[in-house]
Amino acid sequence: MGARGRRLVTVLSGFLGSGKTTLLREYLRRYPGDDIVVIINEWGTVGLDHHLIRAVKEQPILLRGGCVCCVRLDDLVRTLREVLDLEQSGKLPAVRQVVIETSGLADPVPVLFTLTTDPILKHHFTATSVVVTLDAVNAVAQIAQQPEIHKQIIAADCVVITKSDLVSDEDVSGLRVSVRQFNPTARILVSCLGDACDALELTVEGENVQPLAIDQLPPIPHQEVQTATLGFSDTLDWPAFSVWLSMLLEARGPDILRIKGMLDIGEAGPLVLNTAQHIVHPPEHLSIWPQGSRKPYLVFITRGTDPARIARSLEAFQRAGGRGGLRVRCVDHDCGERA
Amino acid sequence: MCVLCAQMVNEIHWSERQLNPEWITRGAGETARRRSRRARIRLCSVVLGHYGLEVVDDWSATNYLLGDRKGNQRVLTSLAELWPAASRMAGATLDPLDDRLLDRLLETAGK
Repeated sequence: MGARGRRLVTVLSGFLGSGKTTLLREYLRRYPGDDIVVIINEWGTVGLDHHLIRAVKEQPILLRGGCVCCVRLDDLVRTLREVLDLEQSGKLPAVRQVVIETSGLADPVPVLFTLTTDPILKHHFTATSVVVTLDAVNAVAQIAQQPEIHKQIIAADCVVITKSDLVSDEDVSGLRVSVRQFNPTARILVSCLGDACDALELTVEGENVQPLAIDQLPPIPHQEVQTATLGFSDTLDWPAFSVWLSMLLEARGPDILRIKGMLDIGEAGPLVLNTAQHIVHPPEHLSIWPQGSRKPYLVFITRGTDPARIARSLEAFQRAGGRGGLRVRCVDHDCGERA
Repeated sequence: MCVLCAQMVNEIHWSERQLNPEWITRGAGETARRRSRRARIRLCSVVLGHYGLEVVDDWSATNYLLGDRKGNQRVLTSLAELWPAASRMAGATLDPLDDRLLDRLLETAGK
């Protein structure tokens, strides 16, 4: 259970054949127990994933009839409510974790949307991480041809590069750069036969946002998206920030693909912010700065929106909110200067 | 539900979340919450004013009363409801990247 008594949910996504089930199967082998609920989706008529998972004697609840995210969200709601009923009536042990494996073509964001907006589920479940598998052998071609993968990488908190034994170290390094072009903040793990299944381990709410290593920012972003990392000259005014962010997501939500970062709002620790399109994970206030380093930042992944305009807008709202001398600057390439 | 005013509070909006969820209903926490809320309303009023709208009132420090110059009013529980309602009332999307709005905000900051 999470800090607010909610069951923690891990969303596992990744393109067709990218090794989602291998990763999940290895995770369930390493961490056996009946307190993990697995909800999988089958795409098409052959429930191959379902049979594979049944082989490890877990109790997946199969969602039938299409894509869990785009077609049958009601099924996901119904299934999670059923899990809740079973647990609360004593027919299921206390649920420690729910792993939702999406179909290979699914965008993970609607799953997050369902969890955060359903009037019942939002009080009992909270998504703590999105893990995305990326097939090292085919990823370069898939990234070039499959827009679904772009959405999955952008939504990811952790990207697991699978089948690493079938490619060279240089190929893996190149793939890391490709991932960072879409999502500079995602943790990247390299896996062979599911050995990086720890990616599915529970994370505490807010733990998925880590201090940013500027040297890991991609030299050139992908042409379809803009990424920008904002730095600040002073502490932010939280009321002004919340007015600005709520207005920005309402006006530009579909094009603000991801915002992730740590803000200094004058408290002892940072405020951790994580959004996926119009979905805002409840901001987490940490008691101390990770690694003792007070380095606030905010990464934006956008489509068709100039990051420099976002920086100017945030600065204007902060100044109007009382932070008269505050400067907001891009610390990476897109805004043309580094702090 | 509040036992005094019978208002339903389904959920605390992310903008009002504090370190401890229970903290906001008690003593100093409530004072801080209201101070933060007043700051939000002050800034919202500048932004909304650019579009001919205003936050007319803040009912029980839980509901925004949004109004326009024709006397139309809407009661809204959070910022998540405020912006779409304001866009409908103004007949245009309220865009925080709008240069003219930003100029107005910077003018306000300079006063």
